[in-house]
Amino acid sequence: MAPTKDRQTIGGGNGTVGAVMVVGAGIAGVQAALDLANSGFFVYLVERSPAIGGVMAQLDKTFPTNDCSMCILSPKLVECGRHLNIQLLTLAEVQEIHGEVGDFTITVQEYPRYIDMEKCIACGLCAEKCPRSVNDEFNQALNKRKASFVKYPQAVPLKYVIDRDHCIYFKPDKKTGKIGRCRACEKFCPAGAVDFSQEGKTHHVKVGSVILAPGFKTFDPSRAATYHYRQLPNVVTSLEFERILSASGPFEGHLVRPGDRAEPKKIAWLQCVGSRDVKYHSYCSSVCCMYAIKEAVIAKEHAPYDLDCAIFYMDMRTYGKDFERYYLRAQEQGVRFVRSRIHSIDLGQDGDLLLRYMDEDAGLHQETFNMVVLSVGMEVPGDVKSMAATLGLELNPHDFAATHPLTPVATSRPGIFVCGAMAGPKDIPESVMQASAAAAGSGSLLSEARWTRTRTKEVPEPRDVSGEPPRVGVFVCDCGINIASVVSVPEVVEYAKTLPHVVYVQENLFSCSQDTQVQMLKVFEEHQINRVVVAACTPLTHEALFQETMRDSGLNKYLFEMANIRNQDSWVHTQEKEEATDKAKDLVRMAVARATLLKPLVEVPLTINQRALVLGGGVAGMNAALNLADQGFETILVEKEKELGGLARRVHHTIEGLDVQAYLDDLIARVRAHHNIQILTQALLVSFIGYKGNFVTEVLVGPGMYERKIEHGVTVVATGAQEYRPTEFLYGQHPGVLTQLDLGRVMHESPEKAAAWQRVFFVQCVGSRNAENPNCSRICCQGAVKHALELKMLNPEMEVVILYRDMRTYGFLEDYYLEARNQGVLFSRFDPEQSPRVMQDKEGLVLEFQDHVLQLPVRLPADAVVLSAATVAGEHEELASLMKIPRTSEGFFIEAHAKLRPVDFSSEGIFLCGSAHSPKLISESISQALAAAGRAGAFLADTTQTISGITACVEPERCAACLICVRVCPFKVPQINQENVSEINRALCQGCGICASECPAKTIQVSHYEDDQLTAKIKALF
Amino acid sequence: MIRAVGKPLEEVIGMVQDYPRILVAGCDGCVTVCEAGGLKEVKVLAAALRLYFTQQGEPKQIDETSLTRQCDKEYLAQLGDRIDGYDAVLSLACGCGVQFLADMYTTKPVYPGVDTTFLGVTEERGVYTERCQACGRCILADTGGVCPIARCSKRMLNGPCGGSDKGKCEVNPEMPCGWQLIYERLKALGQLDRFEQPITPKDWTTSRDGGVRKIVREDLRV
Repeated sequence: MAPTKDRQTIGGGNGTVGAVMVVGAGIAGVQAALDLANSGFFVYLVERSPAIGGVMAQLDKTFPTNDCSMCILSPKLVECGRHLNIQLLTLAEVQEIHGEVGDFTITVQEYPRYIDMEKCIACGLCAEKCPRSVNDEFNQALNKRKASFVKYPQAVPLKYVIDRDHCIYFKPDKKTGKIGRCRACEKFCPAGAVDFSQEGKTHHVKVGSVILAPGFKTFDPSRAATYHYRQLPNVVTSLEFERILSASGPFEGHLVRPGDRAEPKKIAWLQCVGSRDVKYHSYCSSVCCMYAIKEAVIAKEHAPYDLDCAIFYMDMRTYGKDFERYYLRAQEQGVRFVRSRIHSIDLGQDGDLLLRYMDEDAGLHQETFNMVVLSVGMEVPGDVKSMAATLGLELNPHDFAATHPLTPVATSRPGIFVCGAMAGPKDIPESVMQASAAAAGSGSLLSEARWTRTRTKEVPEPRDVSGEPPRVGVFVCDCGINIASVVSVPEVVEYAKTLPHVVYVQENLFSCSQDTQVQMLKVFEEHQINRVVVAACTPLTHEALFQETMRDSGLNKYLFEMANIRNQDSWVHTQEKEEATDKAKDLVRMAVARATLLKPLVEVPLTINQRALVLGGGVAGMNAALNLADQGFETILVEKEKELGGLARRVHHTIEGLDVQAYLDDLIARVRAHHNIQILTQALLVSFIGYKGNFVTEVLVGPGMYERKIEHGVTVVATGAQEYRPTEFLYGQHPGVLTQLDLGRVMHESPEKAAAWQRVFFVQCVGSRNAENPNCSRICCQGAVKHALELKMLNPEMEVVILYRDMRTYGFLEDYYLEARNQGVLFSRFDPEQSPRVMQDKEGLVLEFQDHVLQLPVRLPADAVVLSAATVAGEHEELASLMKIPRTSEGFFIEAHAKLRPVDFSSEGIFLCGSAHSPKLISESISQALAAAGRAGAFLADTTQTISGITACVEPERCAACLICVRVCPFKVPQINQENVSEINRALCQGCGICASECPAKTIQVSHYEDDQLTAKIKALF
Repeated sequence: MIRAVGKPLEEVIGMVQDYPRILVAGCDGCVTVCEAGGLKEVKVLAAALRLYFTQQGEPKQIDETSLTRQCDKEYLAQLGDRIDGYDAVLSLACGCGVQFLADMYTTKPVYPGVDTTFLGVTEERGVYTERCQACGRCILADTGGVCPIARCSKRMLNGPCGGSDKGKCEVNPEMPCGWQLIYERLKALGQLDRFEQPITPKDWTTSRDGGVRKIVREDLRV
């Protein structure tokens, strides 16, 4: 790497530092950074690569919603890039750490980009002119990029970078040995941004805590010779397949195989490549089953023909929320699932691939596929291991960060938190949850230093333009040559001058450059402009920038309109220059027409009540309450039962052997002792009104059932779940038939009784994965393994048999599954069609099941039959209707977004955690509770909130009280009021516009998108 | 409320195609609630007509309005000063509104833009079912609050008939048997003994059998 100069210190001062460093800017790091920055802390976001986004940016779609990965990620990246209190340090690495919690000094090495970020306008000319092609890592080397490049089109920061390892400039001339050849990029860059003299910088950053989110790398299957990966071109990894499917990928989303660009008719996925394999990684990578199903489903959608997709697996681990439904749907859509682990791939004819496998009917098969996808697992990259060493952190035996199940985001070093894949293989929502949890952990440590390091922006008093006639200023951008090389910008400028209400027009070389912004500010004032139209690129990336300049000059930001004459014109009509110029004129005319009708909108500030309400006093609720209280917020904890503790009161040990009851006692004591927490037990919620920041809840508090009114700013729902009471397998009819919670009690209270058992059966999936409750209950497989190991410990001679459908011991739980096998626990698989039968004869309990190896029925007496009863939702119907929060058909609460808002409700200010969301382990509930507390705390951190100007407004005169708005609003905001007309609370309205478009009386308008403003645009076109 | 559904576009075109200036008039009452003839449907239909006639090369003047109710003269009178500017009115009100509009503007052709269907309820958005046939003498007190006139295909006063099968009507296996509903409701109310008292023949003169109906409320007249 390049030499280092320019030492600088950022931050400084004494005491607790109100800044946090987040290392790694994948989805976890980005989420943690946003949460912290919104909570009043300054964030340094350190990323090794030239752009943030991580692996999620490389994915095509995401399970189980099939949302486009980039589409949902990109807004977060943009927010991160623009955040006043997040400083991105890209191409940077942590080198040293000194100090301790509250006051760390971290040395960060920032490598040169060779492109001045201030000057680069991302026009792409440097890449176009660069003569050096290299493998594009972002596309998994399936195609080429240039030595000057952006990581991907939506990259943040959207700034080019010169790849020193491949750039010709840096290659010494063979004869003279000197560097400095080529320089094509420098010559062609219209902004003068290329700077080969750039050197690295060393930053010494002072922060109060650190969050590590460096992510993972995929297992390299060339380590296993039998897959012939890299030798057979049509054997690809799952991440390569994501890029193949992606519309922005190497094949523009056309499903072809890399070897010969032929459309595959048959594709096989091989699961557990590098995972659940003691040669490489014994743990389960947790996500591969779901992504393989998703890839198969999406591939079938892409193919305009009947594509045959087969997934070869050992256990299908679709254990997450609604994952089993996704698996079932894939089967309906014709994805084949073959229970067989493939050990090798052979080359067939014409690049095809030959798989030999034994299926469950013990038949040996040979099948040819056009393409094979290796479902590679996750592992810890080498540089993350060395960073952990630098920071002095302990790693677990699999090289992931060592964490304690009861403090799942804390590392071995106080003040350093971990989230995402570094803390174990996990999917996106769990990474996001952990990120918010880590942010909450940091936030509670540093709460006294909140708002001490943050920046704020001063804006002048807004100018009242209501009495003025529209005076439109039009700014037409060349975008270097991006627009000007196709569109005749001077012609568009002259044309714009002729449009009604236009008082000023100018051509900008780069509208977005800092000096142009300053110049535009002057122009606004000089010409008394009160409407601004910028004809340039896309509002997606640039609207906020121009609006900020408007605010700086005292203009309301809603008096702004953009015409996208680049992405929607010059880029797509490069060959038709004249027509493109005409189109630019059309787009400008439309924008001006709308601009003249735009109204200034007020963003009303509302105070935020600083109190939190937590519903549910189980592990999740108590952890959420404790963290909120530690963050400095008064918290009211409401529990319906007499005692705190929830379902965990009935769990004695975790699979790691931790004493849950001791933990609970300690937790309850801490909650009770906390000066910021007030506990209401035997309390029943009877009314819930208001909106984010200002809720009013009424509870009846026992035993006297007196009424208590609570005003609060946020609500955390942690109302838990319960164990299914089986009606099958003689449960309740024979004392030897137990649920897992029952067994836990027996082993705790009378271990001698359990120790005397000779044979015990576990029956999995009781009440789960069936027609009534299609989802997997997630925790029962590990529960059975945990109890089986405990029984073996009590009596090693005991015969313990687990009858299962798929063993779903995801992540490091796989270690315990292996251990159970080693201890002699027997595992026998059954099909739901041939479910085991529990019977009673004179001797006692008898269990009959079909042995899947012998293919014969087996009948054996048993001392106990343990049913892995489902975790089912609590009875929350009334609560859900009072709070207007949605539930799944199984009764679990539905989060705002399955991937990226896993602890938020779509109604803002309400958060969700614990098994009320879906079944989960104690450690997972704690993570989620911290995450909910973190998100809630980030919202409470500001004492006021601004309500967007863009909301729906009802004109009551025409309202027919037809209820349509009430019915269609996804956020349940409109209500028919006392005057018998619809009323929409601005503080709650999200401005989505559904009510306005559906209102049959046309009496609802969305401000800024009013009918006349939009029709004016259309009328201007024709 | 009155339930209606929009007429097919082709039918509407057939009615108005000869008129160069057309006013599409909605009603803010029942037809707004059932999303058949409020201002939104007016705008949608007017836009479709404009598009059609423009494509045919004979653009027309098609204007939009919606009245608070078309079954009250005062609201209809609001069209008085502009109606002469149109050659025809396309009313999206129920049959009452269309006729009343025509009554007031005797020389103006008025066309119906919706099919008025029944008096019913909203089961959920977009699903409406019939509940009342306005027979003029309500017998719901005798039938557990379920109307046999509206909900039995045969309007039987003493059912069910032999066509009731597993709670469904022989007319359509999707249609609940009205008398089954009456039975269940009376059972739930503990009033099954009502079946022992047959309902006496109904006086249908208050229904359509007595000719066009009229209410005169002397107590209300001004």
